[in-house]
Amino acid sequence: MTQLTSNLIAPKFDVKKAWKIFGPFAIFAILFVIVIIRNSNFLSGGGLGVATQVSAPILMVALSQSLVLNIGSIDLSNAALSLLGAIILAVSLPRLGVSAPVFILILTTLFGAVNGALVAYTRAPSFALTLGTLGIFQTASLVVSKATSVYVDNNDSYLGHLNNNTILTIPLIFYVGVLLAILLWAFLKYTTIGRSMTAVGLNETGSVFAGLRIKRIKILAFAISGLVSGVAGITIISQSGSASPNGLGSDLLLPGIAAAIVGGTSILGGVTNPINVVFGSLIISMIPITTTALGVNAQAQSLIYGFAVIVVAAFTLSHARKNIVK
Amino acid sequence: MSLFKATEKNGVTTGASALSLRNIKITFGDLVAVDNVSFDIQEREVVGLIGENGAGKSTLLKILAGVYKPDSGTIELSGEAKKFKGPQDSLDAGIGIVHQEQSLFTNLSIAENLEFVSGGSSKSGTIFKPFNWVKANKNAALALGKVGSKLDPRTRVGDLSFIDRQMVEIAKAMKVSTAKVSNPIIILDEPTSLLEVHETEALEREIAKIKDLGSVIFVSHRLDEVMRVCDRIIVLRDGKLVAIKDRDDVNQQELFQLMMGHEKKSQPRSYQRKHQGDTPKVELREVGKKGEFRGVNLKLVAGEITAIIGTNGSGREDLCKAIYGVKSFDTGTMLIDGKEINHWNVQRAIESGFGLVPAERKVEGLIGGLSAADNISLIFNDDVKNGFLINPKKNLAIAKEWFEELDIRPRAPQKELEKFSGGNQQKAVLAKWLKSKELSVLILDHPLRGLDPGAAETVNSLIRKAAAEDTAVLLLGDTMEEVLDIADQISVMKDGEVTGSFDLHVDHPSTLDLLEKMV
Repeated sequence: MTQLTSNLIAPKFDVKKAWKIFGPFAIFAILFVIVIIRNSNFLSGGGLGVATQVSAPILMVALSQSLVLNIGSIDLSNAALSLLGAIILAVSLPRLGVSAPVFILILTTLFGAVNGALVAYTRAPSFALTLGTLGIFQTASLVVSKATSVYVDNNDSYLGHLNNNTILTIPLIFYVGVLLAILLWAFLKYTTIGRSMTAVGLNETGSVFAGLRIKRIKILAFAISGLVSGVAGITIISQSGSASPNGLGSDLLLPGIAAAIVGGTSILGGVTNPINVVFGSLIISMIPITTTALGVNAQAQSLIYGFAVIVVAAFTLSHARKNIVK
Repeated sequence: MSLFKATEKNGVTTGASALSLRNIKITFGDLVAVDNVSFDIQEREVVGLIGENGAGKSTLLKILAGVYKPDSGTIELSGEAKKFKGPQDSLDAGIGIVHQEQSLFTNLSIAENLEFVSGGSSKSGTIFKPFNWVKANKNAALALGKVGSKLDPRTRVGDLSFIDRQMVEIAKAMKVSTAKVSNPIIILDEPTSLLEVHETEALEREIAKIKDLGSVIFVSHRLDEVMRVCDRIIVLRDGKLVAIKDRDDVNQQELFQLMMGHEKKSQPRSYQRKHQGDTPKVELREVGKKGEFRGVNLKLVAGEITAIIGTNGSGREDLCKAIYGVKSFDTGTMLIDGKEINHWNVQRAIESGFGLVPAERKVEGLIGGLSAADNISLIFNDDVKNGFLINPKKNLAIAKEWFEELDIRPRAPQKELEKFSGGNQQKAVLAKWLKSKELSVLILDHPLRGLDPGAAETVNSLIRKAAAEDTAVLLLGDTMEEVLDIADQISVMKDGEVTGSFDLHVDHPSTLDLLEKMV
């Protein structure tokens, strides 16, 4: 009888599952090894430091994005919100001092919640709504910064230590990102609200029938995403000591989405692993380093970068999700 | 055809049959899905194909459709051996399948739907030919006429009722298969599992008509229907052919036994009514929702199963959803334990001990991508938490208890729920509610839909058990027989109104009595 055979499920090694868990790390390791083979000074010359430094702001934005992707939405405004946070931080540091970063985090959390409320209550696609708030945040950045670079005074640049101090050549700010990723991973796995977010991303109708408070869950997901965007803003200031509408952080949106997806986050919702997003962002920052090490000329780098993202995304994306909505 | 009768008994005939399968076998890994199956089908014959979920019906159909290639065995059509390289070959050979999941484009007209598949032709050049609506409409009317349908071919498919769409599906399959051969084989894959009672009768008439044009393989879960429609019945179990029976030589009970390998137990109804005089758990007074139902009075009593029967469009599904709070009432009042309630919604319903097993299991009933354990603890999860945090070990352990209790197979609660079979999914959905200590009202919207008889029996016994433990149960059944078997009270709805109520402890209505109130 089929019943007898199906009753005995031996734990088997599952290649797909293993790839889902270790794939992003494996790809990062491969890129890293390629670079070391081509350029033996990479490791001794602080190459890991460079890679993690470049990937730190991408990581923050990617974490922020994966929270929103997890509930089945997308946030096109999150990088712009980070930059706005950075600019307001630069402007307010002289006046607020140590409490300025806290102020920024509260602000970006609120802005995130507004995005979430728009998505929850208007039920319009998040793609369109956040395209709107993207424009608003960009304009706000121009206004606050008066369209120039805002420099952080040396006295107030204690944030710079986060970037300049290192453990094992890796800047502290990257460890902050890793810690954040672990916290978010635990949040999604071990709290009912986190699990509810995943449920909403997997099947919104089913979640309604299960009595989950969809609106609250969406607003909260966007709010936490906003908080993480704020951390990305702080990262920008710690790395560049200044913020401007066109400076560091103005082009984090797409790398952030790419890092989330390369890290195994499904664009359809319900599938993300923040810890793998760490490797996703490392991969995204390693690709240009790898192409340089391989001697690809400067003009072809964007081309290679594009190809590499496509290949990596195809390999790491979870194929399991064909949403069954009839 | 009667000439064959004598030799047909063991499934193999000597003359050239419309379709004959010889020793078809297919394996997937270790699983032998279809094991040495042989049978013949004559021209102008309706053959039923029955078996539990996993018996190999779908796999066999996919072999006939050219989707799977059998490991061994041959397929002959009118005595000619065929090898299908793909679905197109099967279509060209005159095998048309009406799938369970409907394959029509809802935003196109009937004629357009029929024309786009015409002949299943892959000839080059057809893409660039301008589309001729006049001709398409004429052809479609012809195709519909052949299956006795008077639908206007210009109607958008999305505007059709389910049964009419099914007719169009059949017309489509007929059109494709008759284009090439004189005796097409039409396969109906569980066409009735989503139909209401009076609709299935229309479909049965339909099948009788198709019989004049070709051969029919009819796959269904409903044994009574199979008995009415089919000339012969093929029973599969665990991939093997266990019997081929003439309709006249067999009854439902025997078929059930052949399918399951054991006898169906009829459960005696509990005649002890502990709460009959109590205040009803839920009482509806003249409730209505514009365009869906109106003036409905209904009482749900603790410990009793109240069934509502009615056809599609009777409004009973929407009534259920309104009681559960995912939809709302426009008029009337709802009382719980005699107290009128206001501002009703799902959260309040769940807090008041309500639970719903929805009809659309995959969409509404479960989160397929979450593990079975997470689905079971989705709503009531205090027992799997340490303080604020979920304890995954506890979560699995408690899910495992429910797996044992409800016999959910395989015993792998960490697996995504979407990977389980329909019956086991439904048991997990039930477990989600049964684990609540406060469950007092359980609403079941077509709980047996798509389940094989074995799983249906288990689910039914769980429903009985819930009632025995003083839950008020509201049941929308698939068939009248199912409801007559299990309910204490039956209300009949028609066009949004209650047209009759029966107390089964007092009245003994026949299916005919019920049908009278429904149509």
